[in-house]
Amino acid sequence: MPTVKGDGMRGLAVFISDIRNCKSKEAEIKRINKELANIRSKFKGDKTLDGYQKKKYVCKLLFIFLLGHDIDFGHMEAVNLLSSNKYTEKQIGYLFISVLIGANNDLMKLVIQAIRNDLASRNPVHITLALQCVANIGSREMAEGLSVDIPKLLVSGDTIDSVKQSAALTLLRLLRSSPDIIPMGEWTSRIIHLLNDQHMGVVTAAASLIENLVKKNPEEYKGCVSLAVSRLSRIVTSSYTDLQDYTYYFVPAPWLSVKLLRLLQNYPPPEDPAVKTRLTECLETILNKAQEPPKSKKVQHSNAKNAVLFEAINLIIHMDSDPNLLVRACNQLGQFLQHRETNLRYLALESMCLLATSEFSHEAVKKHQETVITALKTERDVSVRQRAVDLLYAMCDRTNAEEIVGEMLEYLESADYSIREEMVLKVAILAEKYAVDYTWYVDVILNLIRIAGDYVSEEVWYRVIQIVINRDDVQGYAAKTVFEALQAPACHENMVKVGGYIMGEFGNLIAGDPRSSPLVQFQLLHSKYHLCSPATRGLLLSTYIKFINLFPEIKHTIQDVLKSDNNMRNSDVELQQRSIEYLQLSSIATADVLATVLEEMPPFPERESSILAKLKKKKPNSVPDGSEQKDQMPKLPTAQMSNSSDSAQPTSINLMSQGSPAASGAASASVDLLGLGTPTQTTAPPVGGGDGFLVDMFDTLTTSSPAPATNGMDLGGLTGGAEEAFKKFICKNNGVLFENDLLQIGVKSEYREDLGRVWVFYGNKTSFQLNAFCVDISTPGDLATSLSVQQKPVGGEVEAGAQVKQQFNMACVQEFTDAPILNIQFMYSGAQQKINLKLPVVLSKYITPAEMDSGNFFGRWKALSNPSQESQQIFKASAPIDIETTKSKLLGFNVSVLDNIDPNPENFVSAGVLHTRNQQVGILVRLEPNKQAQMYRLTVRASRDRVAKILCDLLQSQL
Amino acid sequence: MIKAILVFNNHGKPRMSRFYQYYPEDMQQQIVRETFHLVSKRDDNVCNFLEGGTLIGGSDFKIIYRHYATLYFVFCVDSSESELGILDLIQVFVETLDKCFENVCELDLIFHVDKVHYILAELVMGGMVLETNMTEIITRIEEQNKLEKSEAGIAAAPARAMSAMKDMNIPQKIKDMKLPDLPSIGNLKF
Repeated sequence: MPTVKGDGMRGLAVFISDIRNCKSKEAEIKRINKELANIRSKFKGDKTLDGYQKKKYVCKLLFIFLLGHDIDFGHMEAVNLLSSNKYTEKQIGYLFISVLIGANNDLMKLVIQAIRNDLASRNPVHITLALQCVANIGSREMAEGLSVDIPKLLVSGDTIDSVKQSAALTLLRLLRSSPDIIPMGEWTSRIIHLLNDQHMGVVTAAASLIENLVKKNPEEYKGCVSLAVSRLSRIVTSSYTDLQDYTYYFVPAPWLSVKLLRLLQNYPPPEDPAVKTRLTECLETILNKAQEPPKSKKVQHSNAKNAVLFEAINLIIHMDSDPNLLVRACNQLGQFLQHRETNLRYLALESMCLLATSEFSHEAVKKHQETVITALKTERDVSVRQRAVDLLYAMCDRTNAEEIVGEMLEYLESADYSIREEMVLKVAILAEKYAVDYTWYVDVILNLIRIAGDYVSEEVWYRVIQIVINRDDVQGYAAKTVFEALQAPACHENMVKVGGYIMGEFGNLIAGDPRSSPLVQFQLLHSKYHLCSPATRGLLLSTYIKFINLFPEIKHTIQDVLKSDNNMRNSDVELQQRSIEYLQLSSIATADVLATVLEEMPPFPERESSILAKLKKKKPNSVPDGSEQKDQMPKLPTAQMSNSSDSAQPTSINLMSQGSPAASGAASASVDLLGLGTPTQTTAPPVGGGDGFLVDMFDTLTTSSPAPATNGMDLGGLTGGAEEAFKKFICKNNGVLFENDLLQIGVKSEYREDLGRVWVFYGNKTSFQLNAFCVDISTPGDLATSLSVQQKPVGGEVEAGAQVKQQFNMACVQEFTDAPILNIQFMYSGAQQKINLKLPVVLSKYITPAEMDSGNFFGRWKALSNPSQESQQIFKASAPIDIETTKSKLLGFNVSVLDNIDPNPENFVSAGVLHTRNQQVGILVRLEPNKQAQMYRLTVRASRDRVAKILCDLLQSQL
Repeated sequence: MIKAILVFNNHGKPRMSRFYQYYPEDMQQQIVRETFHLVSKRDDNVCNFLEGGTLIGGSDFKIIYRHYATLYFVFCVDSSESELGILDLIQVFVETLDKCFENVCELDLIFHVDKVHYILAELVMGGMVLETNMTEIITRIEEQNKLEKSEAGIAAAPARAMSAMKDMNIPQKIKDMKLPDLPSIGNLKF
């Protein structure tokens, strides 16, 4: 049946051959440009082209597009073609449009009109073409234009099967892209009955659609469970001759079976005993069939059969209720672990990961530990090895932790670079989680650093230090071990960091041994000093000052080092400063003071392992749900932003006032043990805040901003449109503040007297995850002292289509003019994106309306007659004067609108109270419109200087 | 859901690409390149699934592919699809192509991109499996061909007669033009 290629278009074939004969890329581009010019002139020319010619040119454009060239014309011709009555012309027209048109193209209206015509036609071939186009583009505009027509096609009695099939999938696509637009109605209640349809193709398409509906509203479509089970049962138990056409290599309707089994994974095990029994029978039959000899040697046969089998196993794991089935599933997967087909080994490892989390089968999974370890060592395919790592991680518990961690460490030495970092994290987590003996834990982590130092992220070594500090039974051992590890001629810088830190704290515990006497310890560390980065050197300097306290006998040696030009005059300011200050501290302070200042680190508060957080961030799906996972990040007080003067001082001076220099020293360098990342000065908490210094790891993890967030606008101007958007919010509290192709930012706010709460909603409009999403707020000018801002953290990623919310608390301390600036940064498709917006927090938000009578009003009005208390402006109205609009503006400005006070009824008189933390300020407003001239005279009086002027300016911008 | 279907040859030259989610043109090109880079360096006997591909989806996303002679058939799918099911779907696609083109080879795909799209449209729609019954698929394609023939018969008769005269057997000629040893991809290693 080679009819498909029967009648090529000659011009097209010649063109393609030309391209293929091009000897070089340049020649190809030249030929293409020539052709593009030719087509362009044909399309522009006055000679009308017939359908055949148009088809030919459009086909050429498609081919050129496939080669990777942008096509910016021909769309109009394609729209003409798809409006044609001839099938072949329509077909190519639709193809061109659905491959080449973006959802926002100007021609979309025309296309939708043509689609609507075709859908209304009686011709099923035309209807199908139109549906295909909608399903493939699936834009919002299409959903709006066709939301009625398509459901009608789906449930109408006289629609033929193939059209029904297409209509179901088209509807699914529109539901996915614009769920809010498609009306739920009559069709939704009838849809589940399509599972009973005669035509298997219709059932397959419908099952996809139903699954999507079920995910949104499982209750409403509960009826589909029994229908799906009975359909499945009929397929599974039938002999393959029953479903002749849908039998694929002797497997009855494998795709439909898979779909049905997936659908059932959206529900708990059926409650109705009859349905439940029937389902169990199906699952058993599927498991039994796996043991039967294959009906064909072709790989398609086993693929199709196993596709169903794996889905059945997934359902068994999902229901997690029948121990018998679970164990059978596990045994089946165990068989696959040793199968010669790589695909099956891969899938078996993947499914077993799920199985390991079920309490019924966890033990059964553990039986396969040896096989999995062998897989890790011998598999040739990195995808499979990766799965083996995941499974080992999932099956690990207290009984086998030591062995699994040992194996993983061993494998790490030869592991693929692409999976090393993740393996390091996993090993570190397992070692911590299942450590009975913490000396073992310390060994594992030091081994990790030794074997794969480059892949050991900061979180890993922060964590080992936290644990050593918190557990005094392991401190001596840790000191001894790091001392030994540092003996190696070449050791990783991370090892130096851990070693420096631990020896600075606990070096005294091993100083009794002459082989690790104070001087030896110091010399060992210092021998690494010159090879390290400035950050590590800073840490080592802190170790040295700690040594001065621990070992007064080597004080002079250390002082000599601090004094050396290399440190005192180092080009790195941080090192220079540390050297000078530590030297001074060691010379001036008495032993008692030194002992207090350089005391041992206090234990860290217990918290979820930051490594786990990192792994979760890296691979959201790979961490099995377990007790250790907390969805809620610990809520800790976040940094106040209003401390501008203090935090601007050099941090190493501040650390003298802290109890623990090692900790604060670390915080000022980039090796902060507690606050991850680089703590910027604005996110650092107020100095002298004692315990507040121990900023929670998670807080900084999520809020720390990569750019140095100094106060002020000099970081870069506002994003376009920010100023206008900001103005719109002066008289309203909620709405969309900003929108571009990537992001929509909404604002919701509430104010109560001097306290304000602002929620900012960041909606990811793209179909990609936005990475490294971070938001910082800056308070320009006098705002830092006038507005107290608290910022809740916002996560590092925003998933495709998801929205995240961030809360700000804004307390008004005193009157202010500027608005806080919101600096949003994130990565989108590899590029850094920055958005700077003015957050609509203005003084008028802190006003509450006040009611008063005429006498009262004028009494107060006269009392505020000092020139500094009044501000007046006369200006042209920005829009035609309308009483109601003006009134609502005033109400939105949070002042009352008082009637019967002004002798002129045209005039507005308003009053309110401005709440600040320091005082309350009375506000009186008089607004005199002049309709003839379209002018306003606005007078604001307030009981505090400056306030009248600020409010007058704000209100004027709205009128 | 299937996010994209890509067909490219051993050198990474795209032969067909179909995206079921909107990506800008340059992004589409990047995805093809990235995917080629990922699959081409893999041996033939490793598994047909792999993760990675940062451009198209992130962690919830897999590449499922088959390598036939000179061509890679790659489906980029999310986690809601059965891996083996998709693998079979690729097989159905290729078998259908093979039936329609009679021993399909890379050149058929090059010279008949439009037809390949039409055949695919009968299998997959909007990123979901539409029909898996090969008999049904081929019936539908034959119907299309009939329509095409009847239309060609009336309208384009003069033009078509001319071109038929000029070139009686163009597809065969083209096949002979270059790469004569191109193996047919249909009957290889299923």
